[in-house]
Amino acid sequence: MNTLYKLFPFIQFNLFIKIGFLALDLFFILFLIIAVRQVFTMTTIVNDASNAVIIKGSVILLLLLSISLFLTALVIL
Amino acid sequence: MPDIFIAEPKEKNTAVPEKPYVLEKQERSDGPIPIIQSPMDSNNPVHLFSAFRKNPDGITFRDQEGEETILLFIRHSFITNVRWILAGIFLLILPILISLSLGFFQNPLPSLSNKYYLMIGFFYYLFVATYFYINFITWHFNIALVTDKRIIDINFSNLVYKDIAATKLNLVQDVSFAQIGAIRTFFDYGDVLVQTAGTLDNFTFESAPQPENIVHIIEDLIGKRNEHFV
Repeated sequence: MNTLYKLFPFIQFNLFIKIGFLALDLFFILFLIIAVRQVFTMTTIVNDASNAVIIKGSVILLLLLSISLFLTALVIL
Repeated sequence: MPDIFIAEPKEKNTAVPEKPYVLEKQERSDGPIPIIQSPMDSNNPVHLFSAFRKNPDGITFRDQEGEETILLFIRHSFITNVRWILAGIFLLILPILISLSLGFFQNPLPSLSNKYYLMIGFFYYLFVATYFYINFITWHFNIALVTDKRIIDINFSNLVYKDIAATKLNLVQDVSFAQIGAIRTFFDYGDVLVQTAGTLDNFTFESAPQPENIVHIIEDLIGKRNEHFV
């Protein structure tokens, strides 16, 4: 990588990694949005009163964590 | 002159409204005996990791009729989750193994600062948590329900595939189970096949716990139903 940087000093590799990471995280967020939608649909089909909160809460927590990771990466990387 | 026929006085109409058919929790040595029991007596909540419940409490499903009672709640046996749990545990310790092995070698990406490694680490563990979650809900939402009126099979896999099938109990012709292999025998789970009449699709409850018990219960329900048609 250092050799590549010497050959092409105008290319900012860290920027590439940042963009790649953000794109990956964005796809991950989209995947989790689908997961949220499916989980809410399935809990409508079969409603388990005692466990629905845990199941729904977990997927929302994952989604919030991935969004916060995306925002953090956007700022600090 | 003696009376040949004396009509008995009419009794008051003491008909009790029909209660839903509910399985009793007690079992005999030769199998479960369904007995009509008040549904209010049952207190049998379905836990997060429950794979088999009789007369489950707190479960409702879409299109459930007013007087329809769920008699059996079936998921795949929990032992079927062992494979992905072990894979997940391996994924959890994989970065530790990699970092230990990298201690013996030169850092392949020296230009990357620690914050990159930190973010990649967070993302990786978020990915592993999602892997656990997706596998869990795939197991969690694969449900078979036996009510006093019908059998419902809900298949959910790969997050985007779901298939819901139902048949009335009076259309069920035969129930059988297959328990093949030492592991299935040891942990008491197997495939239950519900054969329906005519061209309707058959139902298979894969890796269902206590398959013999399930077959006995459904057979008894079919027999109870068939009595009405004799």
